[in-house]
Amino acid sequence: MSSIEFKGLVKRYKDVTAVDDLSANVEAGRITGFLGPNGAGKSTALRCLLGLAAATEGEALIEGHLYSQLPHPMKKVGAVLDSSGFNGALTATQNLKVICTAGGLDSGRIPELLKLVELDHASHKRTKGYSLGMRQRLSLAAALLGDPDILVLDEPANGLDPVGIAWLRTFLRNLATAGKTVLVSSHQLAEMQHTVDDVIIINRGRLIAAGPMAQVTEGQTLEDAFMRLIGVAK
Amino acid sequence: MKLAYQRRTWGLFAAAIFLSVLSTSLTPWALSRIKNVVIMPLSLSSSVDGVYSKSLGAYIMSLVIGIVIMSSEFQHHTAIATFLAAPKRISVLVAKLITAAIWGALINMVATGFGMISGKIALGFFKNVAQPDSYIFGDYLASAVLTGAVLAVVGVAIGTLIRNQNAAISVGLVFFLVVDRILGLVWTEGGKYLATGLITAMMQLHINIKSPALGLGINSADYLDPWPAAGLMLAYGIVFALVSLITLSRDID
Repeated sequence: MSSIEFKGLVKRYKDVTAVDDLSANVEAGRITGFLGPNGAGKSTALRCLLGLAAATEGEALIEGHLYSQLPHPMKKVGAVLDSSGFNGALTATQNLKVICTAGGLDSGRIPELLKLVELDHASHKRTKGYSLGMRQRLSLAAALLGDPDILVLDEPANGLDPVGIAWLRTFLRNLATAGKTVLVSSHQLAEMQHTVDDVIIINRGRLIAAGPMAQVTEGQTLEDAFMRLIGVAK
Repeated sequence: MKLAYQRRTWGLFAAAIFLSVLSTSLTPWALSRIKNVVIMPLSLSSSVDGVYSKSLGAYIMSLVIGIVIMSSEFQHHTAIATFLAAPKRISVLVAKLITAAIWGALINMVATGFGMISGKIALGFFKNVAQPDSYIFGDYLASAVLTGAVLAVVGVAIGTLIRNQNAAISVGLVFFLVVDRILGLVWTEGGKYLATGLITAMMQLHINIKSPALGLGINSADYLDPWPAAGLMLAYGIVFALVSLITLSRDID
């Protein structure tokens, strides 16, 4: 069984179809890039996968179950969707404690995770003073609170400087090496070329290619392959 | 836990106490003389009961805390983290409603307690002050608990329905401080079923001032009996909780 399955997923907002009949699988223990330009429907598909938005048709499953049906969702899936999703009046430690309480998790891992994402020096600082990069790292720590097998990351490199991006790449690779499944969305194709094993490419809500990186790119760069697949001459 | 960490929670607590103390401690002066005519002498028990009834005047803060509990999830974008941690929305809502009810009741009860103490001190400045009816302290505190809990639940419903926190608080305050009171004055028959009328009913005040010259048409006998009023207040809480559940099923942005 695949770790994540999109089965004919459709999401419509009134007259706009954000995701159109998306079917794709994410295999366990690999880093899969969920790629496409801005507005392609990546975030919407991930929100459907994580139960934040209701699918109009079809479904998105995690190990065969809807996210909302998982007995301990944070122990199965860690997600980063919005790096601004912290209460600025609280410190990093307090924000993570709140999430632990909501998810029924032990807060004992918080210091270890803050050290892992290199935020241990700022753990007692209110998050309203955090830079975007610091908030992204804190989001990653939050996603790892339940020591999940699967990670779903929506544009985690947004706002990171080159050092941060290099750190993220190593971070994700270490997670995959440890046996975690990682689904990471991005519109930064050049960066993803060096990070992911498999790709799912969508454009205007529709799947245009999926599979191992080498098979999809056919020896081209990811960017060139993407242009070819969406029919744009470069 | 989130509430206890936030300074705003303690600010609301302090504001509730301030409101209650202010309105209760100033009432002996205001109540005893309206247009320079003594209409409710403090030598009457009912007048003194009226003074202590003002200690319940901070109930609006319970509504605000209910609104804040829900709408801050959307204002700070923490709703995503919350619903990822606990994807069953009904569980989240129930937890929010219980939290709101507890905090709403607590805030209103503590503020009312402080208000009563300040009322006692203020009345000490007057001569020939009657003893209040013996039941009022227990009844007022019980009313404060029920009113605080229900209004906080109503607040959660408003915060779920209107996800912009400032707009939600504005709508709540305008309705309860303006619309409700105006309706209560111009539509006496229906006003007793609104929040202010129900709160007054639960306080069991025995006041009858029908003075056309002063523009006063107050007769507490027009209100519902305390228990039906409390029951209706609870029913409002349940209805608003159901409204919350329906509105919370929308997509989370």
